[in-house]
Order: sequence, then structure tokens, then C-alpha cells
Amino acid sequence: MNKRADDSPEGVSRRHFLKGAGAAAAVVTVAKIPSVTEAGQEVSDDPVIVGPGSISIRLKINGEIREVEAPPSTTLLDLLREHHAMTGTKRVCDRGSCGACTVLLDGRTVDSCSMLAIDAMGREITTVEGIGTPENLTDLQKAFVEKDALQCGFCTPGMVVSCTALLNQNPTPDRDQIRQGIAGNICRCGTYQNIIEAVEHASRKGGK
Amino acid sequence: MAEEITIQVGFGDQFHPLTVRLQDGDIPPWQPDQPLDVVGQRKPRLDAVAKVTGTAKFSQDQQPAGLIHGRILRSPHGNAEIRSVDLTAARAMPGVRSALTVPDTFEDSTARYCGAEVAAIAADTEQQADAAMRAIVVDYQVKEHCVTIDASMAEGAPQVGRGEQKNVQRVSPRTRGRRRGRNADPDADRQVVEQMARREKEVDAILAGSDSVVEGTFRTQVQTHAPLETHGAVCSWEDGRLVCWASTQATFGFRGELTSGRGQVKASECRVLSEYVGGGFGSKFSAGREGVIGALLAKEAGVPVKMMLDRSGEQTSAGNRPDSLQKMRMGVNKDGIIQGLQIRSWGTPGSGIGGAGAHNDGIYQLGEIDKVEYGVRTNCGGARAHRAPGWPQGSVALEQMMDMAAHSIDGVDPIEFRKMNDDHPIRAKEYDIARERIGWDRTRVRGGSATICSGVGIASNLWFSAGGGGASALVRIAKDGAVEIRNGAQDIGTGTRTVMAMVAAEELGIPLEMVSTRIGDTNDPQGPMSGGSTTIGTLTPAARLAAHYAKKELLAVVAERKGWDPADLDLRKARVIRNDGSDTGLSFKDACSLMDDDAIEVLKARPRRNYAGFSDTNAGVQAAEVEVDMETGVVRVKKVVAVADAGKLINPMTAESQVRGGVIQGVSFALHERRIMDRHKGRMLNDDLENYKILGSVDCPEIDVVLVDVYNGKSNTQVMGLGEPPIVATAAAVANAVADAIGVRVFEVPITPRRVLEAIASNEKSAAQPKKKGARL
Ligand code: FES
Ligand code: FES
Repeated sequence: MNKRADDSPEGVSRRHFLKGAGAAAAVVTVAKIPSVTEAGQEVSDDPVIVGPGSISIRLKINGEIREVEAPPSTTLLDLLREHHAMTGTKRVCDRGSCGACTVLLDGRTVDSCSMLAIDAMGREITTVEGIGTPENLTDLQKAFVEKDALQCGFCTPGMVVSCTALLNQNPTPDRDQIRQGIAGNICRCGTYQNIIEAVEHASRKGGK
Repeated sequence: MAEEITIQVGFGDQFHPLTVRLQDGDIPPWQPDQPLDVVGQRKPRLDAVAKVTGTAKFSQDQQPAGLIHGRILRSPHGNAEIRSVDLTAARAMPGVRSALTVPDTFEDSTARYCGAEVAAIAADTEQQADAAMRAIVVDYQVKEHCVTIDASMAEGAPQVGRGEQKNVQRVSPRTRGRRRGRNADPDADRQVVEQMARREKEVDAILAGSDSVVEGTFRTQVQTHAPLETHGAVCSWEDGRLVCWASTQATFGFRGELTSGRGQVKASECRVLSEYVGGGFGSKFSAGREGVIGALLAKEAGVPVKMMLDRSGEQTSAGNRPDSLQKMRMGVNKDGIIQGLQIRSWGTPGSGIGGAGAHNDGIYQLGEIDKVEYGVRTNCGGARAHRAPGWPQGSVALEQMMDMAAHSIDGVDPIEFRKMNDDHPIRAKEYDIARERIGWDRTRVRGGSATICSGVGIASNLWFSAGGGGASALVRIAKDGAVEIRNGAQDIGTGTRTVMAMVAAEELGIPLEMVSTRIGDTNDPQGPMSGGSTTIGTLTPAARLAAHYAKKELLAVVAERKGWDPADLDLRKARVIRNDGSDTGLSFKDACSLMDDDAIEVLKARPRRNYAGFSDTNAGVQAAEVEVDMETGVVRVKKVVAVADAGKLINPMTAESQVRGGVIQGVSFALHERRIMDRHKGRMLNDDLENYKILGSVDCPEIDVVLVDVYNGKSNTQVMGLGEPPIVATAAAVANAVADAIGVRVFEVPITPRRVLEAIASNEKSAAQPKKKGARL
């Protein structure tokens, strides 16, 4: 029953992107994905039906190819957390309203709770674990530490990922642009101003 | 052998001597002229690196081997009796390992709000648990419900409580004998009612004799805590011993509930681990039903269970700040002195009545007060302590009354008016700081025909957080120079861990980087719950004492080995020095290497009581500047100046963050937050983070924090907590600023565009005579 869903970049654009509320809540046990593709070969558009059982899901996470068996209904967030034990990415609302689960997909921010893992196949996924390590912090992370841009720390991984994307796109954002850059991330402890200061600080240092 | 010493207490340029009798082997507090190397410095949190890299492991992130997933089935009805719960089919579903019902486990078959717990399942995957939940068969006897304060107070409203419980019940003044929701002893109650009537008459008379009387009816809405990490725990039984990785703000309390003979779990041993907690704000004192359920499901399943609430469960069932309806009348004389205040207020803390109160009779000298307060039962999720419980809602009413009173006596300046009725020694100074930094006296466009109007408002904080007994700390100095400090309490994001280490580093004369910490583990020494902003005041004196006695032991070793006088030695800047400041030639590490044993370990409890000190309370003043769009009614808070004090400042950086956090939650309360109930279905409509609006980065004002350092002399560290005080004043300051901007008062928070437009419209209608521009209401 285990069909292999390959990680073809072309396939991705044709897939349904489960948007908004309840990708995780929806009882998706069967998913349609385009048929297996081989590099350079003509592809048929006929969907292949996978699931409800586990299939092999191969993803490129933080530069490393990782493969795991999981139901096709698994969200990217759950795949990261539950199947790869990468718990830096947090689940808070599970429906795209808070940004705690933010990861980068080909350099752009997405709410990993609101997309299926199979829809991330063939793309570059960057999680907070891939941004900097305790021994090797990015300038942005250092600035977060120095400016106390965190309290309980639960929103922090999502904030770090969003701000990293912001600085990648715009190395010298002004205050309003920073505010917009984290507009999708909720912090209940109230660290916004410190985060803005941290991003400015990192930006001045020319870092990311 | 209590030692009597004289210390200097005070702040700024106001110091005076105070004689203190040191108790329980305590040491004197730091003095104003004493040079400090670590305390008072801006230090990044010790756990910041773990948090920015995602390596900090919260309860939600724990994945012990064999972990399965728990889910709670909640009642879909506004008010129901649970006649029966049948788990047979659910237990047979794939992956299910354990299940329980709430009527059996908690001997409670009422589901008095939509979202009340009914049953629980643990299965190999969340999806399996969800599927099994749909197979649970529940027979409900659905009853009528009331989910709003008005519905519950209405004549002939359906009964929310059980037995004799009335929907509306007086909570203050109290009648003796009224406990556990029972009705009061009629005789005692009659006496109280008579006293109340007398009081009412007296204050009526005082108001009648006052030069001016103002009155208002204020409402605030239910605010949910919404910590980003939900409530719950990962529970595991290892050889009959329970281990819980709990998202809690009371590790020891959590343990107590699960080991208590009166609880449902009755574990003979339980270890609670909470190294990182994703926020609490007052809602995480108890293990809650979810904690109990997690432990029981894990026991039956024989494998660890993760029982963390989902977001909907969090928003409906894990606590809130009750709403309020406050009617007030204040009498004031022409000289600016408040004569008296009459208050009738109501709050709805859920189906019970605990925590209904609004603190609307404090902070200022308010003359004679006649206050009666009622709890109103509704079929809604119950209240829990929420960051300064009762204060922000009380402040919204009281501070607006203050402005109205000031205005009524020939438009006295609101700040001057407050000063006339305020005797707090610290706040007197803080008003001036706030006034200057917000630009209080700047000319502004107010009311009238302008599209964008601007205004400023002021309000005060008050808090009582010097902590108290109930904490010990363990300091360990190893032969290789490694220093560790441990306490079993938790750091819910306030910076407790860092501050505890800073105090130890200061006492040991070493840089902070040389100290490692362990926190959030009930195997370590007893620590306080994070409540009442008392954690830091309770914990740090123990940390300093343990460090002090560890230092003494180390210096004794040095003295003995070197033949020096131990009383002449001290530690400073990681060196062993003499009392005259000269260096002995020994570094801290050299000193440690002289030990015979592997390490020195000192466990010390702090004194049980605090000293009289300079001031028992934190003060604080906040000023807000707003812009209001007169056409859309949208309020923008541009800036908040928050002047705060918290005794001696250990880490100004984390203290500032605490204040900013309180202000942001306060602005959010003022403009956005409210629980919306469906009156017909009885359910919460915005049990998510989409429609329950929390202030975001775009709307976050500039926050200017000014910290006042106070040597209060109350303990050896003289620290007070700062979690709660900053949220007290914010919404009130914003409300006053809005009134200043638009020339009419909005009596209800959140101050939504609709309410602003309605207020403007009603003002235009009533504007028979032109009002003075910029007149403050
Ligand atoms: S958890 Fe994904 S947006 Fe909230
Ligand atoms: S730091 Fe706690 S939610 Fe942002």
C-alpha cells in the first residue's frame, strides 16, 4: 500500500494547497498527488491516490534529505515535530493564525500547520533548527538575545524564522516594515518592541 | 541571635535610616553606596540562546519513548447534566490505549458550560484519539443556559448553579458562614444587610454634601489568558512513580495535587519538571483536570501520555479574567479632595462566583467608601487569576471616575488631581516623569471637526509583591570552580532563572557567566509558585543567603589552608580579596581547588517574614497617547510611558520586558480582547486566535519604560516582582486618553470603533451648547 510520492518540483505547483483553517483538523486520509516523475521524462497529469495508510515522505529539511513513513494527511508541522523530533517549530493555534509554526519554504515563510507535508516535497524547508545553532548563532539570533526579544520563548522560533526571511528579502527594513514582517506572529508575552529593536540591530550590523 | 542593624532605605534623593532586626541568620540588604558588579546590570537571559535556537524543550516538546496522545471530549451544550457516558465503542477503536469519563473520575456529572470536560481518550496517534472521541456515546440532559451577565441577572433567568445557588450572589461585604457556595446563615446575613444599608445612607449623605458628584457605569469584557503553550502535561509512570513534564506556574503545587490523598491520582511519588513554560499569566496554578486526566490515562495505558489542551480547549476552559459591570458615584469638593465613593459592581467568573471582584476602590485616598460587589453565575468557562486579578477592570472604572471628578471641579488637571488624593511616596515622583515623557502639556487637536484627534490619559498602578517565606536555594561550588544554583520553582518567561543566578553571582563575587542554574524540577529545593508577582521577592533572598554561606565555607577553607583570618577575606571580581580591598593573589578558581571535598553544597531557606521596610507596595504611573480617527472610530495607541518601580532592580533589562509585556496586554485589553458568546447555542464563538483578537506587532505602541530603583529594605535583596503591576493602569490610561481626544467618554472596553462612533454621535446630539475644546471629561 505504500506508494512512493516523489519530490518533483514540477509536481508541487499542481497540487492542492490546503489553505487556512484546519488542514490538521480535516480528516484527510486520502490525498491525490501527481504521478511519479522521473527527471526529464514526460509526466502524466493523472493523479495517483495515496493513503489512507502511511506513505514514504521525503523532504529536504535544513539542507538534508530526510525520509519517513507517515500518512499523507500529516501536516508539515506534525511531520517535523512528531516524525522528525524537530520540536523547535511550535504548534499553538494549528490553523494559520499565530505564526508559531513558521518555517521557510524556498526562502518564504509559511505556516507549517496549514500545509501538508507532501506538498513540501521537492522544496527547500528551513526550520529554526536550520537557522543557527547554540554554538553558532546568526547575527539576528544574537540580537534577539542581546535585546531580550523573548520572554517565555514560545513564539520565539516562529519570530526568528519570520525575521530571518524579512532580512533576506530586505536587509535594511524600517520600523514599519519590521512590524509588517512579523504581523502574522502573535506574542502573548509582549516582545514586539524588543523584536523590532533586535531586527534593527542585526540589520545595522549587516547580518542576518 | 537576632542582629540589629541600621540600613538606608528610599529612592532617588529620598533616603532615611531604618533599624532592622535581622532574623534567621539573614544578611543585610545591599546599601545605596555599595558598589555592585552584577546586580543592576542589563543581562541577557541565561536561557535566551536555547529559546532563539528552538532547542529549549517545553512540555509540549517532550517525547519520551512510547509516547501516546490524550484528548478530551467536551460538552457541546451550554448547560447539561451528563446522564451517562458509554466508552465501549471508543475503547474498541484502533490505537486506543486508555479512556475515562469525567462523571466517574471526578464524581461530577454536571457540564455547566459548553466546553466542560466529559470524557478522555489516549491513543497511539492524535488522529486515532480524535476518531475514538467521535465514538463516545454521551446521554445529555440539556438544560437552559445563560451565557451573558445581562441574561443571568434578568428576572426569571434560568438557574446556572445547583441546589439553592442564586445566579446573582453578593460576594462583598461578606457574611460569615457563607462557604462553598452555600447560602449564608440568615441571621448573620441580616446583620450585614443592615450594616450595608447604614453605610449606604452615610455615604449618600457625604455625596450629597460634596461640591460635585460624578457618576458612571462601566463595563469590561472577558479576557482569556491565551498563553501560547496550552495547559497540560506529558505524564509518565516509571516504576510506580509519576513524572510530569508540566506547563505550570507552580511545580510544587502541581505535584501536591497529584500526590494528595484527596485528589484523584494519589501518586505516592511525583516529580514535576518544567524547565521551560510557554506563558501562564495566572492561569497555570493548578494541575487542572487535564493534569489529572493525563496522569490517569498514562497509568492505565502503561505508556507516557501527552495531555496538552488544544487551542479551543485552552480558550474555553483554561481560565479568563471575568467581565465587569461597575456603577460608581464619586463626591469631590472644590479643593480637589475626594469625599466619598459609592460602588456597585458585578462580575461573571463562570458558573462559580470566586474571583468576581473588581479592585475599583484602591490606589487613591477615596474618602468614605460604600461598596457592594456581586458575583454573577453564567454558563461559561470559569475564571482563573489573570495577571493582576480584578485590577485592570477596576482601574478602567476608577481612573475614568478620577478624570471625570477632576473635570467637574473647574477642569483641574487630572495629574494634579491625582496628586491631591494620593499619598504613595514613590508615585508622587512618578507622576512628574510620566507627565514630561508623554508630552502631557503639548498642544493637541482635540474633538471637534478634525479627522484625526489626539489625546493623553493617565492612570496609576499599585501592587504588593515583596514576596515572603517558602523558598530555599541550593548553591554548589565544585572543586574545579563550577558554580551551580538550584531551585525547583519555574520560570514562566519572567526571567526568574537569570535573576536568581545574578544574585548568587553578586554574592560570590564572580561574573554571571560562571554560574549555571537548574530550575523547574521538584527534586530541587522548594520554590514558590509564580503568583502575585512574588516569585522574585520570595526566591532571591534564599538564593543570596545560600550563596553567602557557600562563600563563607569556601573562604574558611582558604583561611585554613593559608593560615589567614577568614573574617578578613571576601570574594570580588573572581578574586579572593581582603577587607581593605587588596588582592590575596588567589583567584576564585584557585580558592576552589584548595577544597578537600569535591564540592561545597549549601542549602538555605530565606527568613519567613519580611522586614518593615520603606514601602509595602509598588507604585507606578502610566500615561498613554492616542490618536482617534473621528470618521472610522479607530483608536491607535501611539505611545505609552510606563513608570514602574519594583524595589531594588536586579536586571533592568528583563524588568523592562516585564513592563512592556504588561502594557501590551493592557492595550490589547483596552482595544481588542473579548470573549464572544453565542447566546442561543451557549458556546464561545471565538475560541481560537483568529477571532479572539490579540494585539499584534502592527498596532503595538511605542513603550517608554522608566524604572525607579528603590532600596525598600524588605529583604536581603529588596526585590519586588513586576509581572502584574504594569497591567493595572494601561487600559485605564488608554480610556482616559480616548476621552481626552474625542471629547466624550467611552464607558466600555474594549474600545471598539463602533463604541467610539456611538460615543461621538451621542456627544454631537447632546451638544446643545458648544463645549470648551480640549475639555477633559
Ligand atoms: S500553529 Fe500554525 S499558525 Fe498557529
Ligand atoms: S515570548 Fe512568550 S509568547 Fe512571545
